[in-house]
Amino acid sequence: MAILDLLLLSILVLCALAAVRTRDLLGAVIIYAAYSLLMAIIWLQLGSPDVAITEAALGAGVTTILMIATISKTGRYE
Amino acid sequence: MAEALAALGQNYFFYYALILFMVGFYTTLSHSNILKKIIGINIMETSIFLFFVALGYVEGGQAPIMGRGAEGGPYMNPLPSALILTGIVVSVSITAFALALMVKLYHFYGTLDADEIVMLRGERQ
Amino acid sequence: MRMQEILILKIVVRFVIPFIQVYGFYVITAGHLSPGGGFAGGTIVAASMVLYALTFDASQGLEKLSHERASLFESLGAIWYVALGFLGILVGGNFLTNGQIGIPLGTPGYLISGGLIPLLSFGIGIKVAVTVVSLYYSLVEED
Repeated sequence: MAILDLLLLSILVLCALAAVRTRDLLGAVIIYAAYSLLMAIIWLQLGSPDVAITEAALGAGVTTILMIATISKTGRYE
Repeated sequence: MAEALAALGQNYFFYYALILFMVGFYTTLSHSNILKKIIGINIMETSIFLFFVALGYVEGGQAPIMGRGAEGGPYMNPLPSALILTGIVVSVSITAFALALMVKLYHFYGTLDADEIVMLRGERQ
Repeated sequence: MRMQEILILKIVVRFVIPFIQVYGFYVITAGHLSPGGGFAGGTIVAASMVLYALTFDASQGLEKLSHERASLFESLGAIWYVALGFLGILVGGNFLTNGQIGIPLGTPGYLISGGLIPLLSFGIGIKVAVTVVSLYYSLVEED
């Protein structure tokens, strides 16, 4: 179990760095959605499925939708 | 000494929470694009949630749900989960509010770069 | 290619939305038995409505749930919660008293159990769903 946790956490850090370094804002938002889904899996590993289902619905769903709506109103590239 | 090192090695969730907090903090400070700043704030928030939920982790425990049958055994601590549930809601509300303010800023200044906005404000005064 | 011309997306979304909504209502109704509850289920229902507005058009989505109807449902959810809370005061207990107000408590672990709590999470679910959808509309609308 520890190996899976470490793997997930490492991919999480990679996702965070990639979301920060990407110049394309739409790509950064999509990578942030992947980050949220990985976070939901980690919370399932940590034994709190309540937080996991809320994060999967809110962090990966609603936040991404709102950010994409904002990008469609403003510019795509920084 | 060896025991202390082993105890340090078990708490790897805390190290990753620290790394994620640093990544988010660096983004918030160094990037001038406002959407990148908001993503950085979100990463900081999730790192703190990870720290809290990892505090309630019990080795070999199961999720604290009362089902039909299958009781007994150690459970995870449900208190950090209940707190973090509220935290996630607050974080999404903050994100929505910040995005609405960002659209307003774009209509007013025509740019999303924080440095340019500061320069434009300096020119107007 | 504009959004309105993609036929596959439209048909698949039209097919998928009922399943998302059924899952959302399941999460709301089973909130006292399993992970989830009013907030998570309401967000899933809201995600289905936002999916409709994204695929078709925001104006077409606004026809299904206009601003007046949204504020009506939002207020109804809040009033439902507070009214159920005041039932406890009417029978002489505290706010949100569960056992003494006449709603059967049921057997633990089954769907009809917990007394007041499934009704409360139903109100929370409606309010959260409508709030998230109107959040999206107010962000995406032209002003």
